[in-house]
Amino acid sequence: MSKAYVKKSKLLKATLGLKNIMGRHFLAIEQAIRDGTPTAWATSGTPVELLYAMDVQPMLPENSATISAARKYSQKFIELAEDQGFSYDLCSYFKTNIGAVESNVDVTIGGINKPTFMLSSDVICDTHVNWFQVQAERMNVPHFTIDVPHVVSNTNNRQYNYFKKYVAEQVWELLDFIQEVTGHEMNMERSKEVAKNSYDLSMVWQEIYELRKNIPCPISTKDTFGGLFPLFTMPGLKAPIKLYKRMYREAKARVDAGIGALEQENYRLMFEGIPFWYNLKYFAMLEKYGAIIVYEPYTYAFSKFMNPNVTKDMLLNKPIEAMSELMLSFWYIFDLKTRIQKFKETVDEWKIDGVLLHNNMSCRPNACGLYDLKRRLSDDYDIPCLIITSDMNDPRKMNETQVSNQIESFIEILHKRKKK
Amino acid sequence: MKKIAYFDAGIITPEEILIAADLVPIRLLGNPNIGIDKANEHIPPTHCVWARNILEQAIEGLDSDIKGVIVTHGCDCTNREFDIWLECVDLDFMFFLNAPLKRDKTSLKFFVKDIKELITQLEEHFNVNITNEKIIEAIKLMNKIRNLLKEISEYRSKMTLKGSEFHHIVKNVQQKDKKEALKMLEDKLEEIKTRTPFTDKNLKKIFLTGSVIDDTEFIKFLESLGYQIVQDDLCIGTRYFWINVDETEKPIKALAKYHLSKPIYSTKVPSQKRFDFVKELAAKYNVDGVVNIAQKFCEPILYDHPFMAKKFKELKNPIPYLFIEMEYNRESYKQLATRFEAFAEII
Ligand code: SF4
Ligand code: SF4
Repeated sequence: MSKAYVKKSKLLKATLGLKNIMGRHFLAIEQAIRDGTPTAWATSGTPVELLYAMDVQPMLPENSATISAARKYSQKFIELAEDQGFSYDLCSYFKTNIGAVESNVDVTIGGINKPTFMLSSDVICDTHVNWFQVQAERMNVPHFTIDVPHVVSNTNNRQYNYFKKYVAEQVWELLDFIQEVTGHEMNMERSKEVAKNSYDLSMVWQEIYELRKNIPCPISTKDTFGGLFPLFTMPGLKAPIKLYKRMYREAKARVDAGIGALEQENYRLMFEGIPFWYNLKYFAMLEKYGAIIVYEPYTYAFSKFMNPNVTKDMLLNKPIEAMSELMLSFWYIFDLKTRIQKFKETVDEWKIDGVLLHNNMSCRPNACGLYDLKRRLSDDYDIPCLIITSDMNDPRKMNETQVSNQIESFIEILHKRKKK
Repeated sequence: MKKIAYFDAGIITPEEILIAADLVPIRLLGNPNIGIDKANEHIPPTHCVWARNILEQAIEGLDSDIKGVIVTHGCDCTNREFDIWLECVDLDFMFFLNAPLKRDKTSLKFFVKDIKELITQLEEHFNVNITNEKIIEAIKLMNKIRNLLKEISEYRSKMTLKGSEFHHIVKNVQQKDKKEALKMLEDKLEEIKTRTPFTDKNLKKIFLTGSVIDDTEFIKFLESLGYQIVQDDLCIGTRYFWINVDETEKPIKALAKYHLSKPIYSTKVPSQKRFDFVKELAAKYNVDGVVNIAQKFCEPILYDHPFMAKKFKELKNPIPYLFIEMEYNRESYKQLATRFEAFAEII
């Protein structure tokens, strides 16, 4: 790989294959609808693998909402939802979905078909549950929700154990629900295979992340922000594993050749939160300072296998219990104490110079604790942090000038620290 | 007497357990007269103001008799802010009660376990013994209180008791030693029975629903515009006393069942059932209209509002419905006057 290539385009060649993989996902949905195969809407954080294991085609409205934003349609859909009485302050993914469904638009701009049923959970946010409750009523489809207890900073082991049981019991109930609605039975062999694929997919993703520890970092958010989608929409399928392996190989070659995604890497950053899908150029702006984001909890989160108690063995022998336990511990729901600790460890391991925190006006659960996180990282560990207030899907809530100025000053701070 | 405070958006904390531990349960409520300053250093300003107001008070320091706090699973605010409380509130006993989202057998079993965990931690921390007998005794006491509140509540629709006075009574009960509360209610009921109905016959009869509404001045403000709250499904209202705990069942299970059977709040599933309860009571009490109030940024209520609006409109005999997003300060009430007056005119 020549340096000239890297200079021209920071994207991995493999990432170009993402379009194909996601295209396959949407084709599979189309085919399922045509054939009358059951389909389901699912929120992030739910065990999508089980849908694949029961031959139910998943559709992820959050994914569709990002497409609307990237294609600059989200504002229109959001405003349509607001016209129907949904508040300016509600999650913009939800409102994008309301508007997109209402307008009956094509999948290429975030449209999504009516499913056979909906699957949500409150593991990440209440919005997921409220969103599907609202849409299940409007579209007249059944809805199942999994209640996941909140592991807080002082939850003890005894509690954790009955939390696990509670989630697992509901997942078993989910299987009954799916059978009742679709007539499909759970096939344990298929479920193991799906679980194994999901595990392998996650592991390659984690290996890619390991490569990002290198200086210079071989991969930027151009690869990861989009690259996360198969993890989220197709966990359990084989196809994305190949793509991730290609991404890995290419990144590894860059590492071996001492080449980074940026021609000159001056600052290594971490980005917490969901990116501004309607304005990804903001992340490219960092490059002019030689700043590269080398870690995003958001894109790492969906590699879900972060809990050391959930081994591959457990996954293969007790897939339901394993999937249930995974719902209790991953990046997006870490309690504040663990979150602070994990940030500190990540900053050390990935040799990060500064942390950007997205105070997302749509996502109160994620924004909650951000101020304390910032304070603790700066006061206790001397890690520079910057909070940016905006929204992932609603361009009206992004103040470009303000954000640019903030980033510029932040880079200035990092620059001074480097000089010391 | 040692007190224990609870921060609970949906009033699902089993007070009986605390009473059985010889602790006085105190519900934490907002104070619209204070500015929010310290809490804003922990929580962004676009998050529920009511929850930030309570955190502000807790950081400033609660009553010195308050020896601990329970935060009960409600919305994303109560759930996620608990960790922040652990960071910045100086109390030894802090417990997050995971009141379940759903209302079925599995959730009931889980809730029983979680209440048992609360009991274990209270026993260890306060060195007390929470026996079944003591819980049963507390249930009986609370049932009496609930019955009295229900009886007193009826005087609102008999146009004898102002909605604001009733609101104040319920609030008082939630923040008082329950034996004293019982006595207070008994006396009150006797006194109310001697009253004569209001002379003003033109009052608009309203059903009030929505987020937690804890400022009695707000109810008085509505009354100043010619409204009388005859019924509600608020947590400082009927949701606190509408049904009773079964005294014949095993006490912990009975408590868990009680909380999963009472009128549902928007933080729980299926929250759309809230409409059924409001509709039924609105019809029964023959109200002129339903007013649904969302505290600014209160997501659970904001998600449910368009559904409620549609349902009230679709009824065979549609019930006029007004939805208001409200700021948590008294100055802002005045700005709402025009909308309330306009609503009063059409109903
Ligand atoms: S952005 Fe936040 S609130 Fe909205 S769906 Fe995602 S996790 Fe939930
Ligand atoms: S008012 Fe609404 S947002 Fe605030 S704590 Fe209560 S339920 Fe949550």
